[in-house]
This record gives sequence, structure tokens and C-alpha cells, in this order.
Amino acid sequence: MLVKDYMTRHPMMGDPGMSIVEARHYMNENHIRHLPIVGDGKRLIGLVSRQTLLVEPGRISSLDIWEIAHHLSKMTVSDVMVRKEDVVTIDPDATIEEAARVMVEKKVGCLPVLEDEVVVGIITETDIMAQLTAMMATRIPGVRVTIHMPEVRGELARLVAAISAQGWGILACGGAPAPREPGKWEAVIKIRGVPRGEIVAALSQIKGQEIVDVRETD
Amino acid sequence: MRQARDIPVLRVENLAISYETRYGDVQAVRDVSFEIQRGDAYSIVGESGCGKSTVAFGIVNFLGRNGKIVDGRILFQGRDLVGRSQEELRKLRGDRIAMVYQDPMQALNPTLRLGDQLSEVLIVHRGMARSEAEDRCVHMLEQVHMPDPANVMQRYPHQISGGQQQRVVIAMALLNDPALLIMDEPTTALDVTVEAAVLDLVAELQTKFDTAIMYISHNLGVVARVSDRVGVMYAGTMVERASVSDIYLHPSHPYTLGLMHCVPKLGMDKSSSYLYPIRGRVPSPKNLPPGCIFEPRCDFARKICQEERPSIREVEPGHWSRCHFAEQVLAGELQPLAHLLPNLEARERSGEASKLVLNVEGARTYYDAPSTKLIGGEKQFVKAVDDVSFSIRKGQTLGIVGESGCGKSTLVKTIIGLEKPTAGTFEFMGVDISTPVSSRDLDLIKNLQMVFQNPDSTLNPSYSVGAQIARPLRRFKTVPRNDVRDEVVRLLNMMRLGENYYDRLPRQLSGGEKQRVGIARAIAGRPELVMCDEPVSALDVSVQAAVLNLLLEVQNEMGTTMAFIAHDLSVVRFFCDTIAVMYLGQIVEIGPAEAIYAPPYHPYTEALLSAVPIPDPRVEQKHIRLMGGVPSALHPPSGCRFHTRCPRRSLLPDGGAICETTVPPWQQVTEEHRIFCHIPLEELYKLEAVITIDVEEESHVG
Repeated sequence: MLVKDYMTRHPMMGDPGMSIVEARHYMNENHIRHLPIVGDGKRLIGLVSRQTLLVEPGRISSLDIWEIAHHLSKMTVSDVMVRKEDVVTIDPDATIEEAARVMVEKKVGCLPVLEDEVVVGIITETDIMAQLTAMMATRIPGVRVTIHMPEVRGELARLVAAISAQGWGILACGGAPAPREPGKWEAVIKIRGVPRGEIVAALSQIKGQEIVDVRETD
Repeated sequence: MRQARDIPVLRVENLAISYETRYGDVQAVRDVSFEIQRGDAYSIVGESGCGKSTVAFGIVNFLGRNGKIVDGRILFQGRDLVGRSQEELRKLRGDRIAMVYQDPMQALNPTLRLGDQLSEVLIVHRGMARSEAEDRCVHMLEQVHMPDPANVMQRYPHQISGGQQQRVVIAMALLNDPALLIMDEPTTALDVTVEAAVLDLVAELQTKFDTAIMYISHNLGVVARVSDRVGVMYAGTMVERASVSDIYLHPSHPYTLGLMHCVPKLGMDKSSSYLYPIRGRVPSPKNLPPGCIFEPRCDFARKICQEERPSIREVEPGHWSRCHFAEQVLAGELQPLAHLLPNLEARERSGEASKLVLNVEGARTYYDAPSTKLIGGEKQFVKAVDDVSFSIRKGQTLGIVGESGCGKSTLVKTIIGLEKPTAGTFEFMGVDISTPVSSRDLDLIKNLQMVFQNPDSTLNPSYSVGAQIARPLRRFKTVPRNDVRDEVVRLLNMMRLGENYYDRLPRQLSGGEKQRVGIARAIAGRPELVMCDEPVSALDVSVQAAVLNLLLEVQNEMGTTMAFIAHDLSVVRFFCDTIAVMYLGQIVEIGPAEAIYAPPYHPYTEALLSAVPIPDPRVEQKHIRLMGGVPSALHPPSGCRFHTRCPRRSLLPDGGAICETTVPPWQQVTEEHRIFCHIPLEELYKLEAVITIDVEEESHVG
């Protein structure tokens, strides 16, 4: 699960000489929220997002509509973009969770993927969300069980062992520290093709682990 | 960026392109619309002169000084390309759109090493340091499966083969990781085995690099293999667009139907089939018919077709057609008019057929090669034809197939007397013909004629058509002097050309017409044997069908015996009674046409069959690819000459050690079918058929 496999290749890109009116139109028309700005050889120069296109009223000297139109017509993308030094980027060989961490820490919604300063793709929140849904096998019908267990080494392995003892397969599996329950670990397991009752019966046998949620998804 | 995925990489809307000429603007392309999604391959097919390449050039605005886009939009990743400055387009072409053209030799600079040409792309566009750029290029050459890439970087273009050159060009196009790759007939100039490998590569790169591909081709088989969606172009406009399977199995435009009918299918054989050529030719853009542009050539044309030009409309979801009667065509309700149906009489296979016309035993044609040593050294030979034996019976056709460089043409030239044979006996109707053509007597020359590949270079440009056909008539005294003109007219009529062609000059004829004149001239003396060296490979599919039908009719009418060289295995199957497969100067398999196309195969025949592009998406082909090119005939491999590339050696004990040391035996399958291979026939029988048609699907659909 590396960035290069989940990024959007050949993203739409703009050039620094583009007027901001054109850039905004381009982004609106194609429903994109981030536009990497590149120079020769697709080298990254900056990034334009919807926010950067919100021109601060302070930059306009009057509210006369002609004045505003004149002002806007003169502005190019290079005037408003986030410059290269300030753009948060990522390497195509980084892991997808690394990309997510960077996005959370830097509070950005999109990372241009750079290889030697050349834009090879772009990865956004949406791509990572899509990956999360895929990881949890959201689109495949099955039984999804949430289990709380002590945060001790080997607990998840016990759960997996219990499932494998039944001869079932695991469609998807994820885990994180349980919210609002210090010392507990929350695991989510998805099993396909087994009736809900059987799963509950089998998993409730495991000592020290507690089923907190069971649901069938389709 | 989920939404961004839905935006096509390329969207062409109502594109119209004109060229300014002395006679005013000529509209070369009208009303063309299509879109290519990310990572998809879109094909554009049509005969030559239909404006396929013009569309491609229009996209990157390479139209030249007199070309201009007069209407429509070209949206590349959502941005309109029409009306952009040269500078902006230049940047785009370098960075995000790449093109691969037909002739790789013309795309490469012959005076620069390949490494310099490749790394230049990165150095100029990306400002990369030379050493880094070179590393990157070597890596890219590996991606296109170039053997020994580091070494190739040091070579000049002429030092690698055509298929390798095309790989270099593709690698060069991909260096900048383009979002759109335009390929204009990239495999047309390549051998069928090389073509198959290049097509595999295209499909692989498409998924690996997520690149959208616009693929231009005239070959329906190639299109079926590479693309997901197809647009059929005719006379500058798109007449049908749909998915590959819809186009091939349920065409809704008569032109598409015509294109399908005029390609010989691998399943067809000579006695049962007739090709339906599309009559006439593509109209000139200056002079379009007022109604439907295809009406003059359409077999289904009605009154409305002459009056009203149809617009493109959606016949089925995702299936667009520009025909008034698309639904009827789709339903198969319209049938070609009766007088266009074949009129083939039963072929005579009487006692005369068993008479041998040509018998060749142990034919060898060597060319002297200069010794590599300055003084002394053994004399070396290029063994173009090495120990070939075959015979042709009266009224039959022998097909000769093989990759280029296999000695097919040399063999034919030796028989006709244009090359001096080194050894062997050549008997033509009982007469020895191992003499050069200049010392043959007139009667022999008269009875042994040839049709050449390129009709342009075989006709004298300064003589009229009539005079050129009349010349052999006078020389051979086929008819009395006074009847020569009548005979020429009769021949012209037989070629469906008509008397008004008598005084025309070759430059006033189209390619197909020239080839017909070439055939008329060859058969003027009523020869016993006509040698055809790739007579249709330079022609468009619709013309090809007409010429093939003509040759068949000539044969039926005059009982002429023929030898027919082709690289297209489906043409050969359609046309020939006996087929010889040649590899590196030797025949490796020879037998009746039906036997060649079913197991047991020689491994080389098997590989050739697996490489043929078949214009039918239902067909399952086994995937066998030969590595490398044909080895040099100067130093042919020892033992079995095919052992260096043979994919079936593993069927023999010790991984086929015997193939390297011992010349294989001729194994007799039937009286007439021989295979030149070590692998026992029982093993060869066990091989699965290369081509199987999944008919189940059709019955399901129907």
C-alpha cells in the first residue's frame, strides 16, 4: 500500500501564467479542489486550492465592480498560489498511512506526489478515504464485528486463531486503541458467508474479549 | 480526486479541420467527436485518406501552415487546446502528450547514438543531469523489454532491428510520463511476429503507466487486440463509434460492415469464400456527395441516402452510428443486392490438375559476402535460400509465408530468373529453368510471369496503361497484331477497369488500379505460372479484397498456376491450396492449406499463427511470442535453424539438445504435408489449436 499505487496519475495541472479567473473556472468545471502549478517538465512551482483563490478584500482598494474586475483580470495564478517551499508533498514510495499522517499533521487535504521535483501524481483525502473503504471491504456483503480486548500482546492473535479454528476466512481486519476506554484495544473483523448467529456464538467464547457491535453489511 | 477520474483525458467535440489550398479551403475532417478516458485505449480505423492522421495532428496542432481547426473543441484534461499559442502547445506536447509514428526510422535521428537521443528528452524537458538521465533511460528501455539496454544506448538507430527501433521510440515517448499517447499506425511497418510483441507491450504499458492511448490503424485485427472502444472514420467524418465487441459483432453502419467483409478470415478457405470489396474509393474532400457521404459506395443505398445527410445518433446505449438505416443494418435485415454476390464457377480439378507445372529440388541461392579479413580468409555466403524443394501442380496456388528476411522473395526471384541459383534443379513444365532471365527463350518468359509488390515502381510512368499492357502482347505474339488493342481492352474489362483507362498514365491511377494494371500485364501473355510477390500488402483493405477476388477469377478463368508470397496468414489461407512456411532460407512446413492451420504444427508455424491479429474479439488465440529477430543468414544457427527462438524445444528430452547439433528430419504427416522438426509427430498432435472461436457467446447473444 504505497502512495504510487493509490495516487491519481496524470493529474490536471496549471501553469503559473494562467489567470486566476481561468484557474477558478477550470477547477469548477472539472470539480477539482487542488491544482498543482507546474513549469517546464512538470516541475512543481506551487499549488492552488479553493482557499487560495478567495481573494482577501484588503487587496482590493474599492468595491467598485469595474475596479474588482480589473484587479482580478490582472492577477495570475503565480500571485496567489502557495509557493513550492510551502507546499507539503510526498514521495511516490511512501506508504499510504504516511501520506495520511502528513495530511493530518499539516492540516492539508492534498499532497502533490513528487519524484525529483516532478509532479507524477496527486493524492487527496478522497483517495485515502477510498482506500479505507476498500480496506474494510465496505462494498462486499458480510458480517462486521467490533470487539474490545485488553491492549496486550497476542490478544488479536487469539481472536484470529478462534476464527481460523472454525475454518472461516477474514475478509477485512482493522484495529485501533478503543475510544474512551484506556487500556483497551478495538478490533474490527469482517467475515463473509457465515451466518451472524454462528459468528457471535463462536467469538463470544473467547475469554476477556467483548463483542460491542455486530452488523450485517451489504 | 474521485471526480477527476470521470473527466476524460481527451474529449474531441465536433472537430472540423480545413486545409487552405489554391482552390479554397478543403475540409479534411468534419464533425468528429469522441472521448478517451484515463488509462483507456481508443482506436480510430478507416481506409487511407479518411482523415485519421489529420485528427491526430489536429490534437497537437501539427497541421502545418495551411491547416487550421475551423470548428469544434479539443479538451485535454478539461482544458481547450484550440486557440492556444504555439509555446503553450509545445510545452504540452513535450510534457503530457506524446506521439509514436508509423516509421520508427524517421522518428530517430540516424546520426546520433540512441542514448543521446533518449537522454536529450530528459535533459531538455526536465533539466536533468546527463548521468542521471542516462540511468533513467536505461530503466525505461528495460520497461519496454529491450534486451541489453545499456548496450543499446551506445548504438546508432541503423544497428538495431525495426521492432527494436519502435520500442526505442515508444520508450522515448514514455520518458516524460505522458497522460495521452497518440500512436499513428505504430506497427504497420513491422513483421507480424514483431507486431504481436509490440501490441503486447502497448497493452502492458497502458495499465502500468495509466496512460490514455489514441491508436490509429487501418488493420481491424490490430484494433481488436489493443483497444476498448473504436471509432470508424470515413471520408473525414466518424461514421460509427462503439465498443470493440459491438463494432465487430454488430456493426450498424454499412461501411463498417464492408470493412469486416473485405478482410479474409483465418477460418475461410479458398473454395468456399469470396470477399466483398467495397466498390469505388473514398471521395475527395473537395467533392463530397450531397447526401450520405458513403451513399455512392453503399450496397444498401436508398433514395433518402442521396438526398439527406444523416447525422450521428445513438442506436444502442454507447453505440453511435451515422446511417439512416442503422437499426436495420444492426438487425441484419439489409442484405447486399444480388448482383454483387459472388459468381464463382466450380473449379476444375480434373485429371489435368495432377500435372506438375513447377518442380524445384534442393534449390540454393547464395550471395557472396565480403570476407572480414583483408587478405585470404574463407569466402562467406549469405544463404538466402538453402535447400528448398517443392512443386506446384497445374491450376493450384502455392502460398509462401514467413517473416521478412526468410528468403521468400529470393526464392521467387530465383525461379523467375532474376537471381542466379547456386545449386538445385528447377524444372518448369519439364524444361530446366536454372538460367537467368536474359538468356531464356521467349516462350519460357511468356509462360512465367510475375506481379510485384509495389505497383508504383513496376509501371513505367511515361507510358500509357494501354501501351504497357500491349507490349507483352506484341512481344509474345499472343494475338495477331491487329487484335492487340481489342485484347488490351478485354484485359482491362476483366480487371474491371474499362476501355477509358487505355490512354491514362500510371499517375492518374490509384494504388489498387495500378496493381490491377500490373496483373493485367502479367497475365497478358497467358502464362502458365504467375509469381505474386506480396501483391496486396501495399493496398487498403477494401482494394485488397478487390485485387484478391480478381486474382481468383483470373485463376478460375484461365487455369493459371500461381505462387503467392504474403506475410499475412489470413490472406494466404484464403487464397492458396498449398502453403509453404519458410524460415531462414528453408521450408519448415509444407502442406495443404487446411492442414497448416490445424495441429500438428511446426513450432514456427504455431508462433506465426498466434501472432496474427484477428478482427474478431471472440477469437481466443494462444499466446506464443518469439524472442528476437531472424538470425543472420550469413551464420545460420547449427542443427535446426529455428532452435535459437523455438518455444517448443522443451518438449524434447534434455531441453532439445539435439536441435542444436542435428539437422531435423522431414516428418511426413500425410502424403503432402511435411514438417521439418525433431519433435515427434505424436507430440505435435497433442498441441492445442492456436485459434479457437468462442461461438457459445454468439449463440448467447443471438
